[in-house]
Amino acid sequence: MSLQNIMENWSNYRRGAEEGGHHKYEHRWGMAINLDLCIGCNACSTACYAENNLAVVGKSRFAKGQAMHWLRVERYWDESQNKSSSVTPDYPEEGASFLPMMCQQCNSATCEPVCPVAATYHTPDGLNAQVYNRCIGSRYCSNNCPYRNRYFNFFSYYESSWPEPLNLQLNPDLTVRDKGVMEKCTFCVQRIRAAKDKAKMADRKVQDGEFTTACAQACPTGAIVFGDRLDETSKVAKLWQQHEVKLGVYKQHKQNPEKRGYRIFEELNVDPSVMYLERVRDTGI
Amino acid sequence: MSGKLNRREFLKALGVSGAAGATLAGCDLPSTITLEEGKEEVVSYFMPEEYVVPGVGVWYASTCTQCTAGCGIHGRVREGRILKVEGNPDAPVNAGKTCQMGQAGVQGHYNPDRITSPMMRDGGGLVAISWDKAEAMLTEKLAGASGDRIAWVTGTVSGHQRVMIENFMEATGAKHHYVHEVVNNRVWESVCQDMLGDANARLRIDKADVVLSLGADFMGASSSPVLYARQYAEFRRGKRGTLIQVEGKMTMTGGSADLWVPIRPGTEGALALGLANYLLRKGDVDGSVVSAELRKRIDEFTVERAAEITGVSGDRIQRIGKVLRDRRPSLVIPGAAVQGQEFGYQATAAIMALNILLGNVGKTIEPGFDVPLKQLQAKTGGTGDLVRFAENVKNKQLDVVLFYGANPVYTAPIALGFRDFLGSVPFKVALSTFPDETVMQADLVLPVASAMEDWGTHMAVNSGEQPVLGVQQPLMEKLYADTRGFGDILLGMLKQKKPDTYGQYADFYAYLSNALVAMKDSSVSVQTTPKAFWEEALQNGQVGVKAPVKKFAVKTFDVQIPDHQADAEFPLALMPTARMGLFDGRHANLPWLQESPDQIAKVVWDSWAELHPITAAKYGIKEGDLIRIESANGAITTTAYLFKGMHQEAIAVPLGQGHSDYGRYARGRGVNPLTLLDARVDAKTGELAMYATRVKIVRTDETKDIVRLGASDVQMGRGFVRTVSVDTLRRTEGA
Repeated sequence: MSLQNIMENWSNYRRGAEEGGHHKYEHRWGMAINLDLCIGCNACSTACYAENNLAVVGKSRFAKGQAMHWLRVERYWDESQNKSSSVTPDYPEEGASFLPMMCQQCNSATCEPVCPVAATYHTPDGLNAQVYNRCIGSRYCSNNCPYRNRYFNFFSYYESSWPEPLNLQLNPDLTVRDKGVMEKCTFCVQRIRAAKDKAKMADRKVQDGEFTTACAQACPTGAIVFGDRLDETSKVAKLWQQHEVKLGVYKQHKQNPEKRGYRIFEELNVDPSVMYLERVRDTGI
Repeated sequence: MSGKLNRREFLKALGVSGAAGATLAGCDLPSTITLEEGKEEVVSYFMPEEYVVPGVGVWYASTCTQCTAGCGIHGRVREGRILKVEGNPDAPVNAGKTCQMGQAGVQGHYNPDRITSPMMRDGGGLVAISWDKAEAMLTEKLAGASGDRIAWVTGTVSGHQRVMIENFMEATGAKHHYVHEVVNNRVWESVCQDMLGDANARLRIDKADVVLSLGADFMGASSSPVLYARQYAEFRRGKRGTLIQVEGKMTMTGGSADLWVPIRPGTEGALALGLANYLLRKGDVDGSVVSAELRKRIDEFTVERAAEITGVSGDRIQRIGKVLRDRRPSLVIPGAAVQGQEFGYQATAAIMALNILLGNVGKTIEPGFDVPLKQLQAKTGGTGDLVRFAENVKNKQLDVVLFYGANPVYTAPIALGFRDFLGSVPFKVALSTFPDETVMQADLVLPVASAMEDWGTHMAVNSGEQPVLGVQQPLMEKLYADTRGFGDILLGMLKQKKPDTYGQYADFYAYLSNALVAMKDSSVSVQTTPKAFWEEALQNGQVGVKAPVKKFAVKTFDVQIPDHQADAEFPLALMPTARMGLFDGRHANLPWLQESPDQIAKVVWDSWAELHPITAAKYGIKEGDLIRIESANGAITTTAYLFKGMHQEAIAVPLGQGHSDYGRYARGRGVNPLTLLDARVDAKTGELAMYATRVKIVRTDETKDIVRLGASDVQMGRGFVRTVSVDTLRRTEGA
């Protein structure tokens, strides 16, 4: 992909976004994450390690922020709950705020145009893809990701992460990444690929629910819903519609502004493919 | 593979229905690919063994053994390797879902620090020996010991593992079986037995409108985290139930609470009585459902008195009382901190009484199933057996001890005196997959195949709406030829003792398939032939068991809840909290779980001590200071973590770390708070009062960085997680 190509695609996209989107997408994979159901249990993130050959980096590298967790569950306190706060009350009056955070598969991703070698690009599935073989490790993309969802291989983790026979667990459907390469959540692209192949062989369309991502499959409360936004019958498309969240905009104009759907950093006009549903709290006790 | 054939059907035809093929060695290759039939492709190694198709994953059903919940799983096997575990959608416990411990099961199987051959103690260390020698040693020692001096120490066991242990005990005359689990529900079970007539009463969080959890981390370190998380999801989805969590340390479950209230740990029973008093006084509940003595006791526990004991304000108690009055049915659940007191049974009974008053019994607490196959039911573990075992060890009552699925050298408090005396047991046998602390003390070590290489069956204590016997089948060939399945090891011993009974079984697989087929009439299966029944059991990973629902016989009695007493020498209550992930320490050897941040503190790869900032300030402690935590029995030193979700009179140290052995990922990392515990027990059940130990803390001059996820604890107004009130939800989504 030449620079000219990238520029062309980018301006096409920008022009298209204003006119309702120009891409001839086959699919637009997306998610809906109900924060009222998220209990912060980490089943999703561990499932991601198991599915995607994520390296375990150990304590000292974790301390340097080099953990490779494509999906991390963040935990926040309200200002008054924070330990350094001297604001009363002395105790939190409600639970924490949990947030499963993975690549938001932005449709106008800020990581894409800065890649000098087009290792990160947009697929006709609406995914923000990373081509490991092209990546030269400039790390511009991770600098530009507002969500901090890109993870760089500072070391050859394969040398230490899977001492024999732990290496036998590695998923052969995707690679183990080497030093100098950027990596990130792919929405389990290997599962998407398998489902598309299977559908093609059966001469039919991919059906909603016939496969899902590792995180969504594990989630004990079903907080994470994955699917094709273009398939209007899909669970995820219905949720987006129900909560009046649209792609291709930087500000939602909801008929009912109380609907719970929102996208994080939408105002940056990155057009993320992940919709969160607001956490609910019963505070009248 | 033709384009016409649906892949799922293809897998079904090849793999799942032929799952038994894993053990049927030497079958011919499918004839369709031989040259004789005129096919032109030369396939040789591309079809190495039956059902192994390069590049094609086959899913086999099995049962998870990472904790005792008994979730059904599907294991993805490709080129003969197990790669990934998913939940079995048909399993009533987990319905297709898994927790992180289940996900990490594969790292136990492929763990680089497994025991690969039998070992015996020679001088100071363990040396590898042959199975013949190991078996001869064991036979000799068992023959030389009288039955009342032979003991098993295991974790919770059910299904045919339990049957095998009991067969073994019968054959050898062994009299003792100690069942030990740190994370347990024993006190609750005995309260259920005494007050409802059913120890296996089932919680139905999904049917409650309000859940009042008194320190119960039911979605985290509980007896069935996935089942309760699923119920919780229904509870939130439907009417948007309200979760009120009252506890001394915010647990993972507390992290999802609508209202979180700190309470002086161990005083939850007083809160329950105070709430009962409030409801009775207001005439909101019918007092005649409880006994006159209990009624009198409740009358004594005014809201003011409860407030004084618990440290929860009277106003707060009344407001919780109002919610319980207005929104029914509710469910009040006691956690580990309630049960783990010297009066734990009394406090738990007080909570059950509150449930009875609120009319929750029969609505959100349902009777268990009357399973006809009693010998397959779970023999649930607790800490009472650990105390009794330690006592017998100290009194030199045991000559041969066999350990399986329990690691008492790690989990036993120093105060039990068990560590010093274990050496005096003449012959200690450890049946284990990993070199844990108990293995390192053993005289004979028998290497057990991993859970993913072994056969077995498991019956969950609570399997939701359908009792099942979960079938555990190998998901791949054994990694180490010299390891043996647990059932095979026991069958080997039984064959020697009772050749007439057990000689007919070539291996445990033969025994198990025979035994399972024999229970066909107790199952819900409609299969008519034994072969079809067995294959169905393997395909489904479980056998549904026909069982009627039991009936409750409610009975109440007086409970005695002591007043709170401050301790000047040891001012803080120690909360040794189990956590989803490392659990009670059994998963400290799995790198994914070590690197997975604690759900609340977000710390990785280490121990820490949670302390309220006000308490810390009293001692001049800052976050990251190393502090020495001293009980009457010993001391540990770990890093202070300041946290407002702690009661000011308590300190919490998570379980899991502090291993002296257990492989490279666990060894020499953090501290084990279990060592500090007093040897005090609950008066009624004999269970260890795990939350009754008091400690003092001393700041050291050293500091240590806490390694954790996330640079900021607050959102700084960026609105990542947005919150909406339940009223808004009711308006927009009609919940």
